[in-house]
Amino acid sequence: MLEDYPETLINIEWHSPGYTPGNSDFDIPEYSTRGNLYGVNGTPHTQWNGVQETIGGYPNGDWEAWIGTFTSIYNSMVGDNTPYDIQINGAAGNSVTYDVIISMDADMSNSNQKVDIFLVEDNIWSYWSGAGSYHNAHNVARDWLLSENLSISEAGDSEAFYGSFELSDNWNSDSLKIIAIVQNYSTKQIYQVSEVNINEMNPDIDDDGILNNSDNCIELWNPEQEDTDDDLLGDACDPCNNIIYVLGNMNGDVNMDGSPKIDVFDVIKLINFIQTEQFTLCQNEVMNVNNDDIVNIMDVIDLIQLILNGNNE
Amino acid sequence: MNKKYFLLSDKTRIIVLLLAFSQLFGQKLEPIDIGLMQVREIVEVASRSSQKVFVEDFTGLL
Repeated sequence: MLEDYPETLINIEWHSPGYTPGNSDFDIPEYSTRGNLYGVNGTPHTQWNGVQETIGGYPNGDWEAWIGTFTSIYNSMVGDNTPYDIQINGAAGNSVTYDVIISMDADMSNSNQKVDIFLVEDNIWSYWSGAGSYHNAHNVARDWLLSENLSISEAGDSEAFYGSFELSDNWNSDSLKIIAIVQNYSTKQIYQVSEVNINEMNPDIDDDGILNNSDNCIELWNPEQEDTDDDLLGDACDPCNNIIYVLGNMNGDVNMDGSPKIDVFDVIKLINFIQTEQFTLCQNEVMNVNNDDIVNIMDVIDLIQLILNGNNE
Repeated sequence: MNKKYFLLSDKTRIIVLLLAFSQLFGQKLEPIDIGLMQVREIVEVASRSSQKVFVEDFTGLL
């Protein structure tokens, strides 16, 4: 199945202690942690997108009889809509640095949502005593690199996760991959997964000479890394200078001293935005004056009150 | 022209303007809102990412 669906089916093998062939180093402590998450008791046990399991197998590793079941499960899950996209980049040398960017194209609560990043080694040919034969194992877990809460929850949001690790002499570096998932730890539902060979990662997506994990605009060329408002988002990708476009300053005008100017013209501008719903991204950020996530006549009233209170000209 | 309007303070004038605008354009917002909501739903569904399948195998063999 892995060969039949290379673009849409990703696996990880958590190697069960007791079935370790020869002098291999396949046993890792993370096996228990991950197994306990799903209540794994016996093997073989497969867990699909965190929510559907199969338990048991056939003697001598004959999985042919399970293809129908696995295919049915796969077909029921593949192509489901998800708000998440995962991009994995980084640089591989004597050590490996990675940056995983999670982005959203629809809203979804971040309650109990976590990002997990694993290191796996593909195509391990070894003697497996349980089957009494040599076998090619795919994506055997080598390390659980990261497990952190996901903070984003709205369309257009993105969040980056960075890390690094040293290569082991016991690994074949040509076959190492990084796998990242978004999973809800309450329901166990996995909402997205992505994998990349460490040698196929791009260390500098925008080719501006600044590595991804140091770049304040990862996808836009900005070698000088200008950041006027010091919000760690470079000017090249920060459509709103947070120094001028503060809450209420609809038209972005300033006083003689350069400070944002909020006056009756901003009120008229806000009314126009509500009527026509035509506004820039910067203006969108400053329109929700009362911070209730709805831009309407109540924001106009609050803006007027802001002006009357003398907070701005 | 009502001379009294020009005798109002700037603050009061703003409030009068606001009330006038809300009365004049309040009814026009609804059909625009409904149409835009429908278009937004269509665009959001069409643009959502497609999920891959992730299988975790706890075993000694795969």
